[in-house]
Amino acid sequence: MKFGKRIKEQIQESLPEWRDKFLRYKELKNLISSPAPAESIFVGLLNAEIDKFNAFFVEQEEDFIIHHKELQYRIQRLVEKCGDNEEMFRLEIGEIRKDIVNFHGEMVLLVNYSNINYTGLAKILKKYDKRRGGGIRSPFIQKVLHQPFFKTDLVSRLVREWETTMDAVFPAKVAEEGYERSAAVTSAAAGEGIFRNTVAALLTMREMRRGSSTYSAFSLPPLNLSDSDLVLRSVHLSSPIPIP
Amino acid sequence: MEARPVQRSGSRDLSSNNNLARTSSIPSSSTPKPSAAEDVFMRSENNNTQLMSRPLGQTYHLLSSSNGGAVGHICSSSSSSGFSTNLHYSSMVSHEKQQHYTGNSSSNAATVQTLSNDSSWCHHGSLPGEFLDFPETHAAIQNSSHVEDGGIGAAFDDIQKRSDWHDWADHLITDEDPLLSTNWNDLLLETSSNSDSKDQKSLQIPQPQVVQQQPSPSVELRPVSTTSSNSNNGTGKARMRWTPELHEAFVEAVNSLGGSERATPKGVLKIMKVEGLTIYHVKSHLQKYRTARYRPEPSETGSPEKKLTPLEHITSLDLKGGIGITEALRLQMEVQKQLHEQLEIQRNLQLRIEEQGKYLQMMFEKQNSGLTKGTASTSDSAAKSEQEDKKTADSKELAAEETRVCEEPEAPQAKRPKTDN
Repeated sequence: MKFGKRIKEQIQESLPEWRDKFLRYKELKNLISSPAPAESIFVGLLNAEIDKFNAFFVEQEEDFIIHHKELQYRIQRLVEKCGDNEEMFRLEIGEIRKDIVNFHGEMVLLVNYSNINYTGLAKILKKYDKRRGGGIRSPFIQKVLHQPFFKTDLVSRLVREWETTMDAVFPAKVAEEGYERSAAVTSAAAGEGIFRNTVAALLTMREMRRGSSTYSAFSLPPLNLSDSDLVLRSVHLSSPIPIP
Repeated sequence: MEARPVQRSGSRDLSSNNNLARTSSIPSSSTPKPSAAEDVFMRSENNNTQLMSRPLGQTYHLLSSSNGGAVGHICSSSSSSGFSTNLHYSSMVSHEKQQHYTGNSSSNAATVQTLSNDSSWCHHGSLPGEFLDFPETHAAIQNSSHVEDGGIGAAFDDIQKRSDWHDWADHLITDEDPLLSTNWNDLLLETSSNSDSKDQKSLQIPQPQVVQQQPSPSVELRPVSTTSSNSNNGTGKARMRWTPELHEAFVEAVNSLGGSERATPKGVLKIMKVEGLTIYHVKSHLQKYRTARYRPEPSETGSPEKKLTPLEHITSLDLKGGIGITEALRLQMEVQKQLHEQLEIQRNLQLRIEEQGKYLQMMFEKQNSGLTKGTASTSDSAAKSEQEDKKTADSKELAAEETRVCEEPEAPQAKRPKTDN
């Protein structure tokens, strides 16, 4: 039930438009409880879920590609416009920086989305096989590996590109003035949602990888998050997500 | 993308057998108007008026209906005529559906909402008979075509895909419907003549051939291969998977036509000259493009949901330790990077685990094909538990190896190796 709880939390913390695009883990799990449905029915349902993932993922990806280019152009135009005018650049770049970080975050969340749904599928299949004594898990998962929603390479590539670009666009660790903070306060709203979602995702991952009673050869080893623990602890979210 | 009716030009005559198809492979994408085939299907579900009134995309509702009787009817109505045929079409039909994505999240939402509201799904307890018959015919169908790992789905997938390429080119070139119907006939023949029987596996749709191009710098069409492959319906309205390169070509075309406002989909399509790209793809992409340019939102999803009062903003920023905005952004970025890194690691692990499992399974299927393993130590079938034993033993090494890679001191212990796999 741990995963069920976790995916639920993830969905709660996710961006609103995404919430109904996740795997319906709980419903499927309940469906499996006796009597478990026939394979074709069950597989049909899973296929429908996969279609849902694919549609959503590909659409988001398309949006990301467009936004990716637009952001690049914006930066380019700003650089051209400002030339050597440092101050002007600095004034305008704030907005772009925020956009970059949020954009990056959203893309990472899409990768997370893909992962969660994949993991959920694997677990559901395992449960089904356990219930029915069948062997549908492995071949089905093999198929899933080739689904568009699982192929996150492009999005990951864009993510890494922006990580690199960050350095160019962000100041070199100079202490910021206080006035910047208040000025940017209202625009931080979007980032907060993404940030919370990201933190939730990390916590979920760590939790899920802690080991379980049904640990098997197909389970993932525990997560190594020693560095990010520091990061996570330094962030005090007053939210329903406890930081253990 | 716009909503489109689902059509299957070659299969009108087969629609009467689509009963199980609809129940077993319910697409999440929906179309507002059922096609003729769907109407026939709906009417044949004469025991459940609910079915008739729902557009196909919401057939989820059927299973989620709290009316168990209605669900039962679905099952029973399909039991008589060969399950085999139904399975055929289940793969097929779901294939079709995939293509006609509206990209309309609201329809998905509606579907999902319906489903999540009802906790009772299709319980077949009342109709055990149907499902006793089912596995046998099922197994017979499994090996109708040995395109990939076997399994009828694979054959369909493969053929669909090939047809799809043709179909997208349809728009620009010739009609390929004869090709499709030929494939269908071939497949039907194959199915009826094949009587092998594997271990009972589910409706496998094993690895579809990668018709989809690998991400390449050239502006080539990247068709989306979905669970059920891209189907041919004569209109080529399949979902496209865009790439940055393709988008760049798009932007160039748009610019050459005077900008996003002045460019028309037709014009852009003509300039781009990408085989398989349809005007619908361009149209929807152009729409997205226009929106992105003239309403540059910081977040793709729009901020309204996250609008907090200024006080809350300040508070939430304070929660980041009272640091400046740039530092807050840095921190956010850092966390995001971590998540991404972990996701990639996790994904790689998952891939390797499946690789390993697949390899071992193949090995064991070879071993088991002549032998009968003696004792079953669990309630599982003997073959299965043996397989899992070995899988576990070998995968334990893999897991242990990965554990070392992850620098975790604890080595994972495979408990009860025979059960959970």
